Amino acid sequence: MIPRSIKKPCLPLILVLLFFSCVKEVDFDQANDLELTPVMSSSLVFFDESASSFVESGSEIDIIQEFLIIDLFTDTFIVENLVKAEFVFLGKNALNRDVNLQVDFLDDLDVLVHRFSIEQEAAVEGSEVFTEYIETFEGDTLLALKSTIKIVFTLRLIAEDPIPDDITGRVELQSSSNFYFKIAAAE
Amino acid sequence: MKKHRAYLLFFLCVYSVAQNKQILYGFNEIPQSLLLNPGAEVSNMGYIGVPLLSHVHINGGTSGPTVYDLFSANGVNFNEKFRSVVYNSDSRDFLSANEQLEVFSGGFAIGNTFEKTEYLSFGVYQELDVISYIPTDYIELALEGNQNNINRVFNAGDLSARAEVVSVFHLGYNKKVNSRFNYGIRGKLYSSVVDIDATKNKGSFTTRRGTNNIYEHIFNLDMQVRTSGIASLTSDDNSGFNEDLKEISKRAFFGGNLGLGFDVGFTYNITDQWRLDGSVLDVGFISHSKDVENYVVNGNYVFEGINPLFPDVANGQSAQDYWDALKEDFEDLFDVDTTGTKYTTWRPIKFNGSLNYTFGKKKKKDCDCTTEDSGYLNAVGAQLYAISRPKQPQMALTVYYYRKLFEGLSLKGTYTLDSYSFYNLGLGVAAQLSGFGFYVMADNFLQYENIYNAEGLSLQLGFNYIFNKK
Repeated sequence: MIPRSIKKPCLPLILVLLFFSCVKEVDFDQANDLELTPVMSSSLVFFDESASSFVESGSEIDIIQEFLIIDLFTDTFIVENLVKAEFVFLGKNALNRDVNLQVDFLDDLDVLVHRFSIEQEAAVEGSEVFTEYIETFEGDTLLALKSTIKIVFTLRLIAEDPIPDDITGRVELQSSSNFYFKIAAAE
Repeated sequence: MKKHRAYLLFFLCVYSVAQNKQILYGFNEIPQSLLLNPGAEVSNMGYIGVPLLSHVHINGGTSGPTVYDLFSANGVNFNEKFRSVVYNSDSRDFLSANEQLEVFSGGFAIGNTFEKTEYLSFGVYQELDVISYIPTDYIELALEGNQNNINRVFNAGDLSARAEVVSVFHLGYNKKVNSRFNYGIRGKLYSSVVDIDATKNKGSFTTRRGTNNIYEHIFNLDMQVRTSGIASLTSDDNSGFNEDLKEISKRAFFGGNLGLGFDVGFTYNITDQWRLDGSVLDVGFISHSKDVENYVVNGNYVFEGINPLFPDVANGQSAQDYWDALKEDFEDLFDVDTTGTKYTTWRPIKFNGSLNYTFGKKKKKDCDCTTEDSGYLNAVGAQLYAISRPKQPQMALTVYYYRKLFEGLSLKGTYTLDSYSFYNLGLGVAAQLSGFGFYVMADNFLQYENIYNAEGLSLQLGFNYIFNKK
């Protein structure tokens, strides 16, 4: 038989091993400090049109205007978490006209809250002119963006004086946005 | 973590392990070892498990970050710790939990009076099994956004998780063919209480340089979450907790979605001292047809931006029409379809195998010789365990030492290599006093020093009344 001296401490020893466990200090409230700071890039507007798009029934169109109703910027998630936005435009103009794109931001009362415009100068002796433009929304302009529900695009062709020959060439514009978020786990 | 992984890949080529009961496996004094190998050698004439206490098993683990990695009160900014945990994990890292509770069980030997070579065992247990892989691509997209990840393919399949609660009714047959060979089989009837399956997600999201515009965004989504037994519990018609409880208990006893399965196993004594055994468990399925609710998101879409100034005028489309069509496309893409299509899930199949060597017979006090009829007192061996999991099987390798201290008290110590750790020491004890048997076993002892830093813990215990051979 196994001596009593071995037998006796056996079970208690195992139980102690099993149930005597330690923990070091942890703090689960830290999860409230979690902050996500993603930067989302998205394509915006674009066009790529030849001179013929600006001619209707033999006469030149010098203004094109369209608007969009957009409920994206007033979305609660955007309003609460967007801390900065950038709209980046890359233009390439081979038209023998200056091209001006004006972008107007209107709120739900149709009041203009923000405006910017991009100038694309006319091609010089047929070689295209490249343009880069960045519109940054921070502070007041960011607030304006967050109240926008309508965007009006106005494209103007501006001819030098005296008006040169018939319109030729093509114009291209590409754009993207960078949305900077700061999303906190706890408010 | 990374370092561990490199070594582990070297050894096993796969990650490991949940539901491993390496201490109980082959510990044949404990009647519940028959649940791990229906073909184990049975050493008793019969047993009755103490209802609800005959087998309690809990097991949890992570192959990646521990609670302590994330939540230690060490003064480091939580955001830094969070990012470090995410970037040190990959999409094959997982968290898993498993719990089993035997409601009742029993067994008895059958056959002729002189030599009973057959054994029947039966019982009911309830099991909870959860596994969730860490959706690293989703978390990294939420942390960084896509701006610095142009051309990166974010994998929608990173979201992979499964959870189920089942009741299992089983009946096992064990046969001793001769002194060398034993086999056994166990039939199982599964009654699913709840099931959530999100393991079939596919697809991706990519942003890359576009042709018409600066970027193009490619959405390719084929995602689904299948559930059974959830909708009726969360619906408004179901007013109270008591009703939910009633519903759950009904399902636990054949009222749920049913399935069938089996276990098989064998023991082969190569020589008097060498033994080989193995088993395959839970080869079975559950067919989910009642109370099914599936959520499906399916679609392909490439977004390049909008062209409001020159919409498709030829087709009489205005800028607003164009914009509305675009919004509709997006809504369709992310629209969640709810379906009631029935589905089938496979239970996680488990494999156990071991090679064992027994030695050291008990010496008689009075003659310095060994007793012939008593068995060997020591055993050493190697065990291999594998389980099928949604992304890839997990494996563990165990070496053990077993010692029968004296009649009625045995110990088994194990050392296990798996993806949770390289330092997994386990210890189990089975004690028996006048037929009343108790066992308790746990592993990862070295990690008990700080439970929050443990990558895996498991504990099993139970009480049985055992009828011993005369």
